[in-house]
Amino acid sequence: MNRALLRHTWRVQRAKLAIVSIALAAWGFLLAVVYARFGSQFTALMQSGMLPEQFARFGGGDVFSLAGSIALGLIHPIAISLTSVFAVGFSAAAVAGERQRGTLEVALARPLSRRVLYLSLLAASFGFIAVAIAALIAGSISGAAFAGVVQELAFRHLPLLWLNSVLLFGAFAAIALAASVSFDRLSPALGVTLGIVIAMYVLEVLGSLWPAAAPLQPYSLFHYLKAKAILSGAAAPADLVVLSSVILIAMVWALVVFPRRDLAAPS
Amino acid sequence: MSPVHAIETVGLTKYYSHRPGPLGSLLERMRGATPPPIRALESLDIAVREGEIFGFLGPNGSGKSTTVRLLLGFLHATAGRARVLGLDTARDSVAIRRRLGYLPSGISLYDTLTGEQLLDYLSALSGRPASRRAELCQRLELSGRTLKRLVRDYSRGMRQKVGIVQALQHDPELAVLDEPTEGLDPLMQRAFYDILDTLKAEGRTIFFSSHVLSEVERVCDRVAIIREGRLVALEETAGLLARRKRNIQMRFTGPLPMLHAVSGITNVEYSEGYVTCRVEGSVRPFLAAIADAEVVDLTIEPARLEEAFLEFYEKGRTE
Repeated sequence: MNRALLRHTWRVQRAKLAIVSIALAAWGFLLAVVYARFGSQFTALMQSGMLPEQFARFGGGDVFSLAGSIALGLIHPIAISLTSVFAVGFSAAAVAGERQRGTLEVALARPLSRRVLYLSLLAASFGFIAVAIAALIAGSISGAAFAGVVQELAFRHLPLLWLNSVLLFGAFAAIALAASVSFDRLSPALGVTLGIVIAMYVLEVLGSLWPAAAPLQPYSLFHYLKAKAILSGAAAPADLVVLSSVILIAMVWALVVFPRRDLAAPS
Repeated sequence: MSPVHAIETVGLTKYYSHRPGPLGSLLERMRGATPPPIRALESLDIAVREGEIFGFLGPNGSGKSTTVRLLLGFLHATAGRARVLGLDTARDSVAIRRRLGYLPSGISLYDTLTGEQLLDYLSALSGRPASRRAELCQRLELSGRTLKRLVRDYSRGMRQKVGIVQALQHDPELAVLDEPTEGLDPLMQRAFYDILDTLKAEGRTIFFSSHVLSEVERVCDRVAIIREGRLVALEETAGLLARRKRNIQMRFTGPLPMLHAVSGITNVEYSEGYVTCRVEGSVRPFLAAIADAEVVDLTIEPARLEEAFLEFYEKGRTE
């Protein structure tokens, strides 16, 4: 890894990271407060049978428990969109965007191998995701404390929740960066990654709402984020292995493809 | 290969597929119809001596940038090989880039940084102190105040100056400069040529890719001319200039001299006391031929490398 490149990347992204982290923290705060204020009413509504049972399992989250609301916070499109600013946006643009702008060759004219460049950008991307997820969890804790339900939270499980979430969005970042090193322009790299993320999200949500589509869920990486199970002390190491394997495969692709490909003059 | 050469290429060849990149190639294979590759560079043999300023000339699309990118390891050669500072470009690309400075044509810079931040960042990536920055900034009139401004606010000329500084600030052994005077005003061009003179005096090697012939004529020791990916000439700039043709116009009061049969003279035209012709190589036979004539006026057009270049280019097209 290259420290100068890492420092530069952090410096350039820090304002964006601060905004995304604050937004995620506010989102986590809000969901914990919503659960504390309205959780019992939602539970009563659910038990009345007015809402289909599947709504209680939306993407593995719910608003009937603190663990469920934190899980919902992580799987909700708002949190995914915010985290994707780095997991998808930054990562897809990291190489293909610089290629398109013509700045990549200025950096690569230095004694910097393509593998080191790639690993440095991947590390930066993981760092951004790690901070963003930490902010969301911190926001949830603050919200729970503010609403007086923090005693429902098992703090010892939070590091594993953080790790699981970082691995999920890290997997998307690794896919985005693998696409980024494979294309000369930003739009195909971004398009491929967004397509994968949206397709996987649809599979997961569809599977959670419609029992007939449940067999499709294992094909979605979102299925391997088990926030509620982790907070309930029922973590499955296999989920982490699956996510880590995807990261590894994407890394191998990028590390093989990037150094071998031609970087023609930007058009 | 000789170790005294800063750059040496042997049979360097580059063909491009129509769809670069692994996914593009895969799609092409899946379709089953692979169009023939584009021949960007064909068997290039050049040797740049240490300490010289080497001009690399050619029209747009002739293969100049492909050559430069092969030397920097951005492209992989289809055939042949290249050595830079004694190192193989395929194996030792990072080690080579540690010792060179590169100015890409139409350089793109990080717009959200100030000039100073940009130079600091690129210096940190180089891993070498920016020992020449102050001198370069002073010669190119890049003040500290200017460097505190965001790059996005720079004019094209300012960007080019920053581009030159980033390429040379770490005092590289070899500078690869692709169209370095693009966007510079005449004063700054002169300042840049002075910088090149200084570098040459200090034994640095400059690989100077350009299509601006006058500057190649002004600064380069030797020049290679490339056309459609093939080397069409490589010789001393002085030699190329000596062989170029000169356009001559004369007015006589008496009988006109007979120039058709004189060695090195072509395109002779007579018209009411005027004679125009073209002289190539030594002017001695021409001077001898007009020695006894009553010359009233004589104009010799300043011969430019451009004509020699165009001659090479046209010759190549008609072959």
